Amino acid sequence: MNKLRYIVLSGLGLGILFPFAFLAMLSFSGEWFFPEVLPGYFGLKNWKEVLTSESGMGISFASSLGISLLVATLGTGTGFIWSKSIAYHSQKETWLVLAYFPYMLSPVVLAACLNFFFLKSGLSGTWQGVVLGQYLVAFPYSVIFFQAFWNHRTRQFEQLVLTLGGSSRQAFVQVILPLAKGMILVCFFQTFLISWFEYGLTALVGVGKVQTLTVKVFLYIKEANFYYGAIACCLLVWPPVLLLYLNKRFVYNRLV
Amino acid sequence: MKSKPAFGLLFFFLLGLLPFAAALVYALLYSLGIVGILSEGVSLAYWHQVLQSGELLGSFLYSALLAGTGVVLSVTLALWISMGLRTSLQHRFWSLLLYFPLAIPGMVASFLSIQLLSKAGFFSRISMKLGWIDRLQEFPDWINDSYGIGIILTFVLIVSPFFVILFSNVYQNERIAELSTLAYSLGAHGKQVFWQVTLPILFSKTKRIMILYFIFLLGSYEIPLVLGQESPQMLSVLIIRELKQFDLKLIPEGYVVAVAYTVVIAIAALLVFRRREVQVHE
Amino acid sequence: MKINCRIHLTLLTQHSTKKTFPITDSSMKRFAFLSLIFTLVLFYTACTEQKSSSEIDLSDWNSIDSLSRNTTVHFMMWQGSPAVNKYINSFLIPEVKKRFGIDLKISGGQGPEIVQLLMGEKQAGVNSGQVDIVWINGETFFQLRQIDGLWGPFAEQLPNAQYIDFEDPYIGIDFQQPINGMEAPWGNTQFALVYDSIKLPRPPRTLDELSRFVKSQPGTFTISNDFSGMSMLKSMLAELGSSPGSLNGPFDEQKYQTLATQLWDWINAHKPYFWKNGETFPREHTKMDQMFASGELLISYGFNEGGIEDKVLQGLFPTSTRGYAWKNGTVHNSNYLGITYNSPNRAGALQVINFMLSPEAQLVKMDVKGMNSNTVLEINRLPEEWRQKFEQATKRQYGPTMQSLEPYSIQEPAPEYMLRLFEDFRKYVIEK
Repeated sequence: MNKLRYIVLSGLGLGILFPFAFLAMLSFSGEWFFPEVLPGYFGLKNWKEVLTSESGMGISFASSLGISLLVATLGTGTGFIWSKSIAYHSQKETWLVLAYFPYMLSPVVLAACLNFFFLKSGLSGTWQGVVLGQYLVAFPYSVIFFQAFWNHRTRQFEQLVLTLGGSSRQAFVQVILPLAKGMILVCFFQTFLISWFEYGLTALVGVGKVQTLTVKVFLYIKEANFYYGAIACCLLVWPPVLLLYLNKRFVYNRLV
Repeated sequence: MKSKPAFGLLFFFLLGLLPFAAALVYALLYSLGIVGILSEGVSLAYWHQVLQSGELLGSFLYSALLAGTGVVLSVTLALWISMGLRTSLQHRFWSLLLYFPLAIPGMVASFLSIQLLSKAGFFSRISMKLGWIDRLQEFPDWINDSYGIGIILTFVLIVSPFFVILFSNVYQNERIAELSTLAYSLGAHGKQVFWQVTLPILFSKTKRIMILYFIFLLGSYEIPLVLGQESPQMLSVLIIRELKQFDLKLIPEGYVVAVAYTVVIAIAALLVFRRREVQVHE
Repeated sequence: MKINCRIHLTLLTQHSTKKTFPITDSSMKRFAFLSLIFTLVLFYTACTEQKSSSEIDLSDWNSIDSLSRNTTVHFMMWQGSPAVNKYINSFLIPEVKKRFGIDLKISGGQGPEIVQLLMGEKQAGVNSGQVDIVWINGETFFQLRQIDGLWGPFAEQLPNAQYIDFEDPYIGIDFQQPINGMEAPWGNTQFALVYDSIKLPRPPRTLDELSRFVKSQPGTFTISNDFSGMSMLKSMLAELGSSPGSLNGPFDEQKYQTLATQLWDWINAHKPYFWKNGETFPREHTKMDQMFASGELLISYGFNEGGIEDKVLQGLFPTSTRGYAWKNGTVHNSNYLGITYNSPNRAGALQVINFMLSPEAQLVKMDVKGMNSNTVLEINRLPEEWRQKFEQATKRQYGPTMQSLEPYSIQEPAPEYMLRLFEDFRKYVIEK
């Protein structure tokens, strides 16, 4: 029994780590023809080629980071506040169902149908437009996320604090924010990921002008050269892994 | 408690709902030939055409089948891993590792599936080296195949890690371990505890999430785009194909499918989430 | 994709419900108000008016030249190849900056995206568009013509147009329609089939040979359900019409019906020997290239003479890869640069396009180690020094030359053939 468990566990661990290792390996490979199990070339050629032919990979990375951070900040911030209005509303259930609509719809379809309005408003092709587009998905997400926070007991607690007196500002800054910090951080991470991985909507609203890293690297994933595709995948996956690591440490501490 | 709900709700309405409604109305108008620069006037022809061809219904059924299979397999696998290995997974190392797959987006997952599972992929090469197959044509058909195996496998790859974490957390939060101990002390045996205590609690706590996941998979785009076949196609792929088609006069047909899909999803949302679910706050 | 994080929330809320917090309202309301204002201001700044383009007098190049100085030009193009990107990023962008002070900005997007964007802008009544120059081929030109998405005519008035032979049917005629100066040719390409000369010493060049080939090597040939696949079908259709010119001229419904029926019969009879037994077809030719690279397919095909040189140098295709044309001919056409109907900077666009057609820019573009694209310039019209440079340019090592394919070229048939092939290939082959 213990032996079996050990085998299954090792298999699971390998299964989780293998994709990351395989992508990294593929990105350094070349001349890997069937049926060879190992590549004919292994080195830096692909990375060099992609990084030198792409001026502004750094700028793309920075703009992706900037946009994702902004979307995450706005989405989490406004979602936190407005989820309260909904949570305490008498028609709470109705509002929540409505919040689920944009959230359940396939983002590419939503983007295709919204494109007209972005063009009309002049938001297309601007980073603000991209932020707004991604925010439209992140905001309902965040509203739903924080519903659990504004529960019955929170409400009773609020009334209790008000009865006991004390400045509302103090309470917000010194009591609520520190206490909600955990959930806020988690939500921040989630909305960050929504933005980081977002492709369809960003490409459409950004008109190929706002070249987030995702937009740039997805081109390579779709093209014939899968070695470059693997580079693209690595660039996409590793930053969130790092963030996940940071986030997880936090989640872990909270859980146990 | 005097918050300003009207103000908050207005904001929510503006940014959360108005875009959704606007998108739906625009798609509806386009599908009826009311807007569109090549429009030849109001017409039900596009609706007629789409509904008649049967492709829409086929796509719905196909999407539902793949999404449903994906969720069921993911849940089963996740249950097996999270409950079977529960004590080991609580270890710090594992609870970190389990989160890693969440950083893989659908596009990367499908790319990976092709590289690993296709006939000339990594696993096929290994099978060849090991002498299991002699020609690459003998390797099983998993990518762009008629049964959507590649799509389902990739769904499982994306979805099951999430359910593993979910089940582990629910197990802890609902104090299932303590309940199980209680059940044991009352004379229940292992299987009974699992089927009559653990499973019902896990399912009742995660039912909605499973349905939500089903709906997400139903509308997924990148995975079936890369791994699917040309007919039938999953809904999002079908919609985008119609919207980007070469014959510009037929683009309204794409909006017909988009409207139909949106309406079905909205009705599903109403059915699933409207029912008052009594939230238990312990 | 966001599936994995979208619902991730629910699990994390599970254990947070237990915590309860006191909360107060007025500071929250203030925060709420501020963030609302912040959001609105943010989006308002993006909505400010843009300038629209002034009228251009094409006969006065000096004024175009001065109007274009120190402006920004947006160029929407396909960006999936490092070789192409390198040409743009390390040659074109710095050169136009140096010569004209123009900031050339690249937007990613090809055919369908360009059409979608311009249709959307038309629909929304946007006078000052997102892009100035678009890189298109015949299919997109046909679509853009339907929606009047291009500005012109301009091509023949460009100073460097003197080196271009617009009478050449492969340049001046696009999909059986005269370009009439609405787009300027940028590259010249022929459709070619790709094979590995070691694995397949004698590749099929006719339908009969293909028939024998798929039966002896089942599963190694397919037709992509995109423009490349349709171009292959055109070659087959022309062969069934029994001459390279059989599809020339305006669309002929009866001819199409007769030939297409034969074609679908032929394909349906042979598709059990195709890739996946003909039960499905790859969506894009890039997928075919991938499968050729990994050995799953023995034949691939595409424009740019098969795009072989580049892919061998990248280590994607084996060095024994070669290309060839169908015996009855494969489609030979050009790709073009157009100016959008609502381009905010026409002068800048003209300046950049003119430079892209200069002997210097075209010579660099021809570099076999770089973008490796055939020039659209007529070598005999060039000044002596440039003619020599073009003639002395390094030849391809792996891919076929344009000269070797030229005897086997056919003109792009009328666009209706493409429309019908797309529709009927789905109806009579894929869904059957």
